Amino acid sequence: MAVIVCHGLKGGAGITFTSAHIAMALSEAGAEVTVLTVAPRDSMPLHFGLQPSITLPSLFAPAEDAVLASGINLRSHVRAVDDPDFVPTLLDLGYLEAGADRVMVIDVPAHEFAFARRIIPHASANLCVLNAAPDTLALLPQALGEASPENIARTTFAINALDETRRLSRHASAFIRELVGPRLLGRIRLDEAVPEAMAMLQPLERYAPSSAALSDVRAIGAALVPALETPGRPWVARGQQSAPSTSRAA
Amino acid sequence: MRIDARNLLDRLGRNDFAYKEFEDRFTELELWPILEALLRDPRMQAIDQAEAAQLEAAAADLAAPVETAMTGPAAAEPLSALFSRYGGEPVAAPAPVDRRTAPQDVRAMLRHLSDLGSRGEI
Repeated sequence: MAVIVCHGLKGGAGITFTSAHIAMALSEAGAEVTVLTVAPRDSMPLHFGLQPSITLPSLFAPAEDAVLASGINLRSHVRAVDDPDFVPTLLDLGYLEAGADRVMVIDVPAHEFAFARRIIPHASANLCVLNAAPDTLALLPQALGEASPENIARTTFAINALDETRRLSRHASAFIRELVGPRLLGRIRLDEAVPEAMAMLQPLERYAPSSAALSDVRAIGAALVPALETPGRPWVARGQQSAPSTSRAA
Repeated sequence: MRIDARNLLDRLGRNDFAYKEFEDRFTELELWPILEALLRDPRMQAIDQAEAAQLEAAAADLAAPVETAMTGPAAAEPLSALFSRYGGEPVAAPAPVDRRTAPQDVRAMLRHLSDLGSRGEI
């Protein structure tokens, strides 16, 4: 019953793509996975080969309304970012504990950084998706300055859409790797098969099973499997100092 | 990916494709002023603080480190240690970076990246 938070510094980094494939990797590892999107404009269905017109059911919708793809339960909760009771709700639903029997991967848009900061302490793991590009690197000091030391310490990183044929991309990637050390879980190579699979309305694994990006992102997902046994910090009601609470009246 | 390339990879059973032919020696890292600007930004020192917080978190049994899939440096080092390591001076503790020596250390870090590249380690 673990929560994995996938977020980023800048829109277009591939957070949704990475979230989807981390979910698939965790599912392949035997976890029962729910993907939760909190974005009002959402492209998550495309990464599962679904029609773009599909509307994902609410997190609280009954089971008969569920959208299942690749064995993964796809859900939406747009109000989560403004809901002060979101974390207690996760607790009530049985998340925020260790184990692979119920896992939630939350796809957090880059501009919802305040929401990410709020839920990261309660997650078993969080993955920050970066591009090896100067406009992304330029945001690092601001992001580090705003985040708590504990959140930074809990953050792992992935470089997405890395074009190793480009000198600047290689250099920026090396810089990130040197900066974050072993917390860089890996890099996902730029691969035209990713948008092509979406255009074909097929899952990437079916459209291009030899895709370099597919193998890269699945390896990162597999690296997160041990984190499922790491419980997130229990939610503590506002004003309380120690005892975890299941109350939603904070 | 072009369809002929994809078919070829499928036939070869290759799930991985490396671009080793594009490797260079990273000797031009110093040409990117943004890297030096980032290393000079004091907010980047939050990485140092994060290391301390990580130790505290481990002590409190709040978090366990995630296994990594990528070979990298043996252990994360504070930026201050990273700077000084290449300056030839041993570092005993994650002391704040001396801004007066930062320019040399920034260049030293970039040289280190270059060396790693020349050894094929990045």
